[in-house]
Amino acid sequence: MPVAASIHCLIVDDQQTIRSLVRSGLQELGFRTTFEANDGEEGLRQMLNRPIQLVISDYNMPKLDGLGLLRAVRAHPPIQKTAFIMLTGRADKDLVQRAVQFGVNNYLVKPFTVATLREKIEAVFGALQ
Amino acid sequence: MSQAATASTPAWEPDRGIAVELRKAHVIQGEFLVSDDPELVMTTILGSCVAACMRDPVAGVGGMNHFLLPGVSGSEGLRYGVQSMELLMNALLRRGARRERLEVKLFGGGRLITGLTDVGSQNAAFAEQFVRDEGLAHAGGSLRGDRARRIQYWPVNGRARQVFLAAAESKVFAADRRRPAAPPPEDSGALELF
Repeated sequence: MPVAASIHCLIVDDQQTIRSLVRSGLQELGFRTTFEANDGEEGLRQMLNRPIQLVISDYNMPKLDGLGLLRAVRAHPPIQKTAFIMLTGRADKDLVQRAVQFGVNNYLVKPFTVATLREKIEAVFGALQ
Repeated sequence: MSQAATASTPAWEPDRGIAVELRKAHVIQGEFLVSDDPELVMTTILGSCVAACMRDPVAGVGGMNHFLLPGVSGSEGLRYGVQSMELLMNALLRRGARRERLEVKLFGGGRLITGLTDVGSQNAAFAEQFVRDEGLAHAGGSLRGDRARRIQYWPVNGRARQVFLAAAESKVFAADRRRPAAPPPEDSGALELF
């Protein structure tokens, strides 16, 4: 089975349109199991209730933002080793630096192509196929 | 995408019967702007591009973007529009707006040149779909048609004014889109208020 098909991915973003774009990109890359959450709180709840190997999370979200979610994930031993990729805007260099301090595995600058999505995921998991 | 700059221009305000210092900000393609200044009017000129005018009436903050999908099919093309809408929404949320209170007026998406791919209609369809998918309140506007239009938007009270450019000016505008931005042409055509 290709690597991508074995990875369960959680997409966390408050915009349904962006979740759809990320999901369709993941499907192109061979991902078969994706879950979605509206914000960091819902994302954390899902992570504590089902096996997730990869989180792709936006930063700007209500309730719990992407950085808060990252910190919470790294603070919960059962899920603290989950791969975490942060979605950022072009002007978010400070955010990327803070996310690196909190243990983010990679970041993805919007708008991004499927090729870039693949590149960022493969930097964490190795070749997907 | 960057934020637009503002400039002050003396203007006649018929509602007040006095001349006031009207602050204007022109939003060009690829830019967005948000403000809580009730005296500021945001302007743009649209051909096949679309501008989303978005505000939170309770927080008293609003903004405008101006985008054009690159004509690439599927998600590769949509991502530019999504990015533009997200930047505008996030800037509003940072200024105190609440997502569930946002109301949106959509303008543009015209087809200025017949015979070519109807990029304007694609832009309009994307904007409408985005508003539906995100559950935002669609408060009106004016999409499609065959004329360029000049838009003025007051971000705090949500008032929008559209002036269609004359057919000849629309063609000139369409031809000029590949050149550097020029000053807005004089008004002509019908006036519509929203």
